[in-house]
Amino acid sequence: MSLFQSHGHFGGMMPLRAFNAGLVPAIHTAPPAPGGVVERLTDEAALIPNRAEHLRLDMICEEGVQLAQGAPVARMRDHPEVVLSAPMAGRLARVRLGPGRQLIELLFFHEAEAGRHDFEVTAARSGEAAAIRALMQGAGLWRLLRSRPFGRMPAVGETPAAIFVMAADTRPHAPDPVAMLEGRGEAFSRGLAALGRLTGGPVYLCQPRGPALAGPGAVEGRLRLLRCGARHPQGLAGFRVHHDHPASPEAPVWDMHAEDVADLGALLETGNLPGLRTVSVAGDALTETRLLRCQPGANLRGLCQGAVVPGWHQVLSGSALDGHEATWLGLRDRQVTVQDNHIRPRRGHWFRAALTRAARPLPVIPTAALDQAFGTALPAMALIRALSSGDDESFTRLGGLSLLEEDLALADYVTGAEPRLSSLLRAALDRIAAEEGL
Amino acid sequence: MIRGLWDRETVALLLLICLMPLALAWLWYGGIEAWARLALALVISGVWHLVFMLVRAQPPSFAGAITALAVAMLAPEELGLTRLLIGISFGSVMAELVFGGWGRNVINPATATLAFLGFGFPAAPWPELVLPVAWAAIPAALLGVTLGLMPGRVIGGALITALIAWGAGQGGWPPGLAPVLPMAFIVLVLLVCDPVTSPATRPGRWLYGALYGGLVVLFASDWQGAAPAQIAVSAALFASLAAPVLDEAAITLWRARRRKHLG
Repeated sequence: MSLFQSHGHFGGMMPLRAFNAGLVPAIHTAPPAPGGVVERLTDEAALIPNRAEHLRLDMICEEGVQLAQGAPVARMRDHPEVVLSAPMAGRLARVRLGPGRQLIELLFFHEAEAGRHDFEVTAARSGEAAAIRALMQGAGLWRLLRSRPFGRMPAVGETPAAIFVMAADTRPHAPDPVAMLEGRGEAFSRGLAALGRLTGGPVYLCQPRGPALAGPGAVEGRLRLLRCGARHPQGLAGFRVHHDHPASPEAPVWDMHAEDVADLGALLETGNLPGLRTVSVAGDALTETRLLRCQPGANLRGLCQGAVVPGWHQVLSGSALDGHEATWLGLRDRQVTVQDNHIRPRRGHWFRAALTRAARPLPVIPTAALDQAFGTALPAMALIRALSSGDDESFTRLGGLSLLEEDLALADYVTGAEPRLSSLLRAALDRIAAEEGL
Repeated sequence: MIRGLWDRETVALLLLICLMPLALAWLWYGGIEAWARLALALVISGVWHLVFMLVRAQPPSFAGAITALAVAMLAPEELGLTRLLIGISFGSVMAELVFGGWGRNVINPATATLAFLGFGFPAAPWPELVLPVAWAAIPAALLGVTLGLMPGRVIGGALITALIAWGAGQGGWPPGLAPVLPMAFIVLVLLVCDPVTSPATRPGRWLYGALYGGLVVLFASDWQGAAPAQIAVSAALFASLAAPVLDEAAITLWRARRRKHLG
């Protein structure tokens, strides 16, 4: 399961970017299901917060109300402009809010006859930045933007220094973003142009080799095309941001998935949210690997129903490298992984447990595999040492502010680091954010 | 989420496997005496790992066996049990275990042991290894570099220095260098290419290899009466002391290039 091919390259000095850097983790999955992409709406879907995200809500709708797909359900208490919208046509079945009205879960039941919500898009069509911003915030698209450093939803009035549109994804068994855009070229360029209005800086379009997805004149000439290799982690936004436009608290950088950009374009065109996203369901505990189009926040059991091998297994939202056990599809996830977890924790001897607990964080030995796990983009060992010793200054100097947990997931997989480097990264980012008063 | 396999003990075990051609060739030619030295070094190193496990809850590591192998191969001869015991204890405790074990040390424990024994007991003769042992270091290096455990750039840097020395000697080795070369290569594979204590940046690794090579050439031509093993071990010690500086320089350079590139 853990075999992988490593391909170094022979640049003399440490190159800033190497096209063939990275690894191809050999993670097993079942053979693909026949029939290509299938539309499959699950009966239940939910709006949930991201990991460690605190959303304080004011409900717009009562429990039990029938809602059109895309209709506003709740708004942020601190920023009423930002709205959560219904992921599908259905009924708001259950509202679970925690202390301080923090979102735990908004559960929906599918009822197709509820139809689609119509948005007022005339102002946004004119290309006015404020109107586009208001439309994205009002239609629930704002949450799909991710602002670096810190990886949160951007603040309401934030203006990014650059925007990265990710039409590449190199995570194992990730659905191909270029295939998602097939036949949606018009919507994609419309969305790209609208997104470009939100920044005065460049808009980077990251895509694999092949015909360009947008012309050089798009986004008023501010579009820059970046080509990504096929090896992980080249298709992650983090290392592209790190290389081409490092993020800092003063100059945040946003990233968004290409399919979401096409959705924005379609919303501007038709006034309706498309409301479907392409998701791959893969893993070694399945009988077939599925490629589906489903609603955001879909029920994961519903997505893999009928294809799971009997026995113990884990259902993750996200890839095998960076996924988390979940019931609902995560906000930005486009992968579901169903894997065997027959390696159950053994009841260890107290002495062994004492030994393994005493030496945290475990030392990481620099190998070629580790270098490639960082895409040879930065001095990996120096960053790991800064992370394990809690040296936030060196971490910032090495460009760590452009990275998020998902970017270190491959290094975690390769080294088996304990505690996980991605958790150390999150802790460092939280400390820096607290220092900045954010 | 799943876990990969390149944790500390996997790396240590694989490194040990990579060094097997070298170890077996040495044992084959060294006979019973070599076996006895290796067993002694393994026992002393193992005992210290055990002590640190019991007292400091520090998990023992297979890296201790790599240290023992290097020490057994390269330690001065005719030292007697006590001196060897003091030397190996000093090396593995002061250079590795007090820092928290393999992976956190700054100097290779075998290098520290050998330097301690060499400087402490200068009268003891250094070992001479037969040529086939040096040949056996080549498959060891190839294995290590292919698996990505040994930094190939360090070996590259050292070989380039050797080539330059050869070129400067107008088609021949500078005086005194030729007899040192086999031992210098063995030490390169055994001590200098340790992934933990060599620099972690790419330019740092080239420079580190070149520095080791340069020191070997310098000592070989100017250090009268020194044994090949003494020359190579001293060069390895001084090069590894410079490793953090090389890393720091490489990172500064990287940041300067990055600033220029990003404007």
